[in-house]
Amino acid sequence: MRAVNITVVVIVLLGAVILSASGRRSMESMHSGYIAMASPFLSVGAAVKSFFSEKKNTDVSEQDVAALMQENSQLRTRIRLLEDLQEENRKLRDALGYRERSEFHLLPARVVSREASTWWNTLMINRGFEDGVETDMPVLTEQGLVGKVTVVSKNFSKVLLITDENCKVAARVEGTNEKGILSGVRVQETGAGELQLNFLTKNANLQPGQKVYTVGVSDGVFPAGIPLGTVKSFRTRELDGQALVIPAVDVSTVEDVFIIVGAK
Amino acid sequence: MNTALLFIACAAGVFFSLVAQDFIPPLTLFGGARVLLVPVFFCLGGLSLPFLLMVALAVWTGLLCDMAYLQVVQGKIEIAIGWSIFYYVVVGAILQGLRPLFLRGHWELHAFASGLCVCAYLLAQFVMISFRRFEDGFFLNQLVFWRILVPGSIAFLISPAVYFSLRPLMDRPVHRRNTTAYEI
Repeated sequence: MRAVNITVVVIVLLGAVILSASGRRSMESMHSGYIAMASPFLSVGAAVKSFFSEKKNTDVSEQDVAALMQENSQLRTRIRLLEDLQEENRKLRDALGYRERSEFHLLPARVVSREASTWWNTLMINRGFEDGVETDMPVLTEQGLVGKVTVVSKNFSKVLLITDENCKVAARVEGTNEKGILSGVRVQETGAGELQLNFLTKNANLQPGQKVYTVGVSDGVFPAGIPLGTVKSFRTRELDGQALVIPAVDVSTVEDVFIIVGAK
Repeated sequence: MNTALLFIACAAGVFFSLVAQDFIPPLTLFGGARVLLVPVFFCLGGLSLPFLLMVALAVWTGLLCDMAYLQVVQGKIEIAIGWSIFYYVVVGAILQGLRPLFLRGHWELHAFASGLCVCAYLLAQFVMISFRRFEDGFFLNQLVFWRILVPGSIAFLISPAVYFSLRPLMDRPVHRRNTTAYEI
């Protein structure tokens, strides 16, 4: 190898080491920069994907349409009733002098792509800081929690899914006083996966089918009461109890989500 | 001229495959393994480009990969930007040693290099996150092997298509029997 080549390699490797020592903020902005650079192509990819999924959906029969319309009208009626109840609730709270509880605004978003990384479970959604999205905002569907926003760029955000080992959520089990930390498993057979609920008491004796919800700790990321999944099995370990939980949302197929963007 | 075009094609291939592979669903039949195309383009450049252009391609590939897969966990970066540059420069330097053989027409080297490069990259990532997440420590099971071996095998199978589509841009292979590596 010529001397000039060796010099170039040494310089590049030194540059890589220096780069790896740079701060979190600069790395995050580089990541956002990449998403901004790739965003035109992500948009094209999303459009192609949505074109094909719409094509697939044209197979929906008239019977399905009728059933969906009926369900739609039922839901509209229920929303109207709930709005009346909300108004009544507000008036009663005013009368009692209660501080109004913060209400959350749900921002709809669509899944653009799923990151092709082998060891992390993340996906990209088509909302960014222009839409008011910030890091650590919870992402959910009507069925339950999907994950939380970790990186935000102008029009896209990255969501860390609850099936990822790094996504830790304070959880409680329905009908008990049991609380623990729910997280994903590093390597799982399917994208839908299983979750593990750790740090339960040894005598928790949870039964399959019990529902698991977010606790909503103060200054935490997730509000209380969001469904996380159902208990599949329970076992005791040396120091604590552990439950395996089936997620409420199949994150491997989810396409439409909501981001909780804070107080209304 | 062809060399410059090949460099641009490989660099563009790396970028577009990085975006495109996110739209390819995981292979549920093979334990949820993913299709990784980036190393296929890099290995082609590593085997066919001159040394300095290979280094430039390694920097581009490593930087893009690190920026694309940066994971921020509870305010901490899991794997810092920069390690992939290191990885691709080292792999590229090894590939340069095989370049004379490759230019003599041994296109199968690209397939083997792509498969090995994907496997080694995934294994290195797994080792790094295992040390980082010390709570669960390091473990190897059948599923981890699938997740490492299947993307490598897919890269091995796809690489001839990439090679033959970019072959017009490569220097014409030399088939003289008495040619030594140094002459090329």
